[in-house]
Amino acid sequence: MVKKDAVLINLKGIIKRYPIGIDDFCQALNGVDISISQGEFVAIMGPSGSGKSTLMHIIGALDTPTKGKQFFKGKNIASYKEDHLAEIRNKEIGFVFQFFNLLPRMSVFENVERPMLYGGVPIEERKRRVMDALEAVSIADKAKNLSNHISGGQIQRVAIARALIMDPSVILADEPTGNLDTKTAYEIMNILTELNNKGRTVVIITHEDDIANFAKRKIKIVDGKIVSNTKNKKKQS
Amino acid sequence: MKPREILRSAIRALRMNALRSSLTMLGIIIGITAVILISSVGQGAVAFISNELSSFGTNFFSISPGSDIVSTFSGGGEPIVLEDVEAIEEANISNIETIAPFSLTNKVVSANGESVRVSIYGMTPEALILLKPNMIYGEFLSDDDRNSRIVILGSDIAEELFGEDTDPVGESIKINDIRFAVTGVSKSGGTFFGSFFNTAVNIPLEILQDQIAGNEEIMEIDISVHDTDLLNETMDEVESVLRDHRNIDEDEDADFTLTSFTAALDTFGTITTLLTVFIAGISGISLLVGGIGVMNIMLVSVTERTKEIGLLKAIGAKRKDILTQFLIESAVLTTIGGIIGIFLGVGGTFLIAVVAGIPFIISVPWILLAVSISTLVGVVFGIYPARKAADLLPIDALRYE
Repeated sequence: MVKKDAVLINLKGIIKRYPIGIDDFCQALNGVDISISQGEFVAIMGPSGSGKSTLMHIIGALDTPTKGKQFFKGKNIASYKEDHLAEIRNKEIGFVFQFFNLLPRMSVFENVERPMLYGGVPIEERKRRVMDALEAVSIADKAKNLSNHISGGQIQRVAIARALIMDPSVILADEPTGNLDTKTAYEIMNILTELNNKGRTVVIITHEDDIANFAKRKIKIVDGKIVSNTKNKKKQS
Repeated sequence: MKPREILRSAIRALRMNALRSSLTMLGIIIGITAVILISSVGQGAVAFISNELSSFGTNFFSISPGSDIVSTFSGGGEPIVLEDVEAIEEANISNIETIAPFSLTNKVVSANGESVRVSIYGMTPEALILLKPNMIYGEFLSDDDRNSRIVILGSDIAEELFGEDTDPVGESIKINDIRFAVTGVSKSGGTFFGSFFNTAVNIPLEILQDQIAGNEEIMEIDISVHDTDLLNETMDEVESVLRDHRNIDEDEDADFTLTSFTAALDTFGTITTLLTVFIAGISGISLLVGGIGVMNIMLVSVTERTKEIGLLKAIGAKRKDILTQFLIESAVLTTIGGIIGIFLGVGGTFLIAVVAGIPFIISVPWILLAVSISTLVGVVFGIYPARKAADLLPIDALRYE
């Protein structure tokens, strides 16, 4: 793991355009510069269509920028090929999505185990790590349940357990509470806060102020540009 | 991912859509069932007929008029007559066991006010050794009967003229208004070619020639030998005797044909094998159609599971992981279909064997070929959908609605 405060993610002049039709395009990001250090808890905020999801996808190596430099642990990964990016996603990034987080009709255990299958972790170690991760999010008793037989809050807990399973450098959560009631949403945010308190870097995308207030830093993005990047003075816990 | 894990994952994915998977397999199941059924039943039939031919005897050959099969039936060329038979007899070829000449004609036979048109065979007592008829009533021709107006009735004909379970020996029938005494009723001895005994009537050859057919033509001479290993040499000797007798030079084409049953057996086997391969090839079309069905369903599956593919890529699945997963799914689908097809094919073959009374033969090479082909169909027709899945960009897959 990179030592605390070392720069983990560094985006410079990131431009992302999506083609529309033959000769038109949509500019989702328009020169974004962001630096996220190890151990930070950052909330990226913005209205619908602001480009915050695109930004998260680029940070998470799910997408590549049209222009700009994208450093991850000091390496410019902007031009990496898909398989190389898949390795980074597997080992360095843990994702928590708003929807379609878990593989349908697979057990909770199998869902959490899955990244380790791609990471080549031996079977005995996989079992131990899955149970540890499920205990860390207080859902070990649901290990054998099918993923479509648990509640929305439990799904997000399982998703967090899966995100942690490869001991990644950063957890990226895209509207992780968007589908949950307030109480459950706060429980999920408390889990993420606790992980951050233990030194894990957490980046969340949200459009809700109260959720963003769990983070230590808030970045606001509008029309593909960062309009504010400040420490969160109202931080909840 | 390790192969065992991919396999487990593939079987799980197929079980999720059990009905669809089963329907997709149907084309493969039908194709493989057909291939196994046709090849096995074909082999069973070959074995059955070979067995029948062998029971009739691989220790004999026949001589028919004409230089080939066409002239044999069209009646062209110099006919074979009793003098030819005598010439062979006089040559005293040591390996010859029996010489049995036959003639055939078609006439109306009547008795008890019943009339029926039947094949009438003219034969000599030697035919008993070659054709092995089962005598239900009376006796077969004996040496004393060569010039007697007697008749051996086929069991079906006897039944038609005299009624069921009636012994007609001592009765008489008319052929061409000439009265013949019934001396026996014969039934097929179980041999393939001996089966005509049921539906024909047999009279002494010379009587047939003189009084019924009105000519001296012999349809066929069958000759059995003591030592089958020397069959070809004996055939050469007989050919040479006949050439001498009929004044045909060595460099001329003979106006008669010698055929051994071993050769006929080989020809029959070749024809059946060709037919089996041909029909099995046609069943292969079903496999092709089944393969296209598999590809279609796998494409639907890729589209349906686009988000799942996106999620798998997000958590670290590489291109080859997704490619292998879908290829294995497709191959597992067709292999299971192939295995079901084998069971159905083997079961069907068993049923046909029992019902038709042919040997139950299962060809292991055909089964191995069937499994390999079904797996291959899965891999070949799975490649395009699997590549389509593997080439999806994670972000496009995750955003797919």
